[in-house]
Amino acid sequence: MAAPVRHRHRWRRRLGALARFVGALALVGGIYTAFAPGIYADEPKQNFDKLAAEGKELFDNSCVSCHGKNAEGVKGRGPSLIGVGGAAVEFQVNSGRMPMAKQEAQAERKEAVFTPEQAEALAAFIQKLGGGPEAPDKKWLADAVANADVASGGELFRVNCASCHGFATGGGALSSGKYAPSLRDVPTDQIYEAMLTGPQNMPVFADNQLSAEQKAEVIAYIEYLNNDRDPGGPFTLGRFGPSTEGLAIFLVGITTLALATLWIAGKS
Amino acid sequence: MTDKHNSPDEPVDVTDPKLTKFDIVKEGLRRDGIEILHYEPAFPKPNTPEERRVERFIALCFVIAGLGALGFVVVYAFWPWHYSYGQASTMSKWYTPMLGLCLTLALGGLGIGILTWAKKLLPKEELVQDRHDGGSSEADRVIAGATVSTVLDDTGIRRRPLLRRALLFGAAPLGLAAIAPIGALIKPPGDSYYHTGFDAKKYNDGKPVRLMLKDGTELKPSMVAVGGQVTCFPSIPDGATNKHAESPTLLIHLRDDDAAETRKNAFSQYKDAQWNNFVAHSKICTHVGCPASLYEQQTNRLLCPCHQSQFQVTDNAKPVFGPATRALPQLPIDVDDEGFFYATSDYLVPVGPAFWEREA
Repeated sequence: MAAPVRHRHRWRRRLGALARFVGALALVGGIYTAFAPGIYADEPKQNFDKLAAEGKELFDNSCVSCHGKNAEGVKGRGPSLIGVGGAAVEFQVNSGRMPMAKQEAQAERKEAVFTPEQAEALAAFIQKLGGGPEAPDKKWLADAVANADVASGGELFRVNCASCHGFATGGGALSSGKYAPSLRDVPTDQIYEAMLTGPQNMPVFADNQLSAEQKAEVIAYIEYLNNDRDPGGPFTLGRFGPSTEGLAIFLVGITTLALATLWIAGKS
Repeated sequence: MTDKHNSPDEPVDVTDPKLTKFDIVKEGLRRDGIEILHYEPAFPKPNTPEERRVERFIALCFVIAGLGALGFVVVYAFWPWHYSYGQASTMSKWYTPMLGLCLTLALGGLGIGILTWAKKLLPKEELVQDRHDGGSSEADRVIAGATVSTVLDDTGIRRRPLLRRALLFGAAPLGLAAIAPIGALIKPPGDSYYHTGFDAKKYNDGKPVRLMLKDGTELKPSMVAVGGQVTCFPSIPDGATNKHAESPTLLIHLRDDDAAETRKNAFSQYKDAQWNNFVAHSKICTHVGCPASLYEQQTNRLLCPCHQSQFQVTDNAKPVFGPATRALPQLPIDVDDEGFFYATSDYLVPVGPAFWEREA
């Protein structure tokens, strides 16, 4: 007699759980729609001048010592920022390269000091000073990368990028301590800005050389490479390619074989 | 009997029915100059637990080998092998490792089994063989020489010149036929080292050759931003293919002050090679011919990734570091009426690494 009773209980419990689950979903969804209405709507048009003024304040506090009072540059310390454009500012600031920790061969990627909003304000200030290429619209870029032709991006990557950044995005050495950085874990908008502005020693790939769509294709290819699994599992060896892989298998393989021959000789 | 067997000079009659198989083997070894110092079965008492343990181990090795080989066939036939893209560790990503694993088990099991059989179950023996002195005996050498000489005399080749010459004529072309295919692999380069696809007279009916991208788009100054560079090719049929592998060129758009410095430094023959702030250099490293295309736009250096040669673009692309000894040749460029880049002449010096006939 006990079994049917337990069955009824179980059904009731399951129905109750389902009802609670649906209720919770509706509640979360409702709150979300109530509080985040603007996520797909047009971004509120901020007053550009107000943003630039905000940026100037940040600039006066953190950048003047190297880039000069009016961003005209300080000889031996930092270049002029007139005409570099907002894209360059957002790239350097969001990737943590600026402000630089110390004067050295190359500024490297690190934890960003400013928030993306502050970077936008700084970009607005520099844009207002001298114009130049602007950062891409995030939503447009996401769509363009999602719909891009990966194969064509691969072609462009191999012609334009692979010589410095390596065939598998691992990066590589340049002259006098400089290097082309790895492209793993770089946000798409920063890759775009880097191509557009040519930060540090990277050549500029302006829109008349690589169109915006072609840049999106290159980014799609980089994402494609980065999202695939490395055949060596955790042993990517920096994704530098055949040289490191050949050296590794040579050292490990030859050592193993030498030990094996010693072991065999010792046994007989 | 024993003494007689051990004496090296008197052969044992191996047809003697009284001899055991081992006696015959021993006699065979003795005739080859091999002496048995020590010989004992691995397990003097058969069927001990130790012997059976070794047997079981070897059997296990062979069974593993068989299973591995069967596994290889099964994996080959049924494992999903179509590559699936992504970070996930899918079945298909294990296709090759699984084949390797099965083959390792098959070959490894067989090898370890056979080795263990030889080491643990075969009799323990120690044999000694005298080393031979080099060279045949004096008598053998005289006999061999006389035989060859006699055969030659029998053919009469020494006193039949007609046959000798006819044989030479019949055989020599055969040797030529063997060498000819190898010789055909060697292609004289002619004067091709001195011309690239930018040679208007040779490749474009005398019309100046324009610069184009890999996809065939002809280049205009507006297509390369300041601080930018682009790899370009002669705008002729097959210009961007291996047929004109000596032609790839880097077109660089310098900043104003860098361009002025470049103009100031230019060798006399390159005074007019630069167009406004644009310079074009051969992309082929003068060391051993790698693409020297790593362009640093702040230091204006071109790097070659193979052996780390560095070239200073603002100073005639002279080598400033690394094994390269020659400057990268510069392509003289200009812009025509329609606004396209073209080469005013071919490269003035041969591109790429040095070769014997090249003048310094």
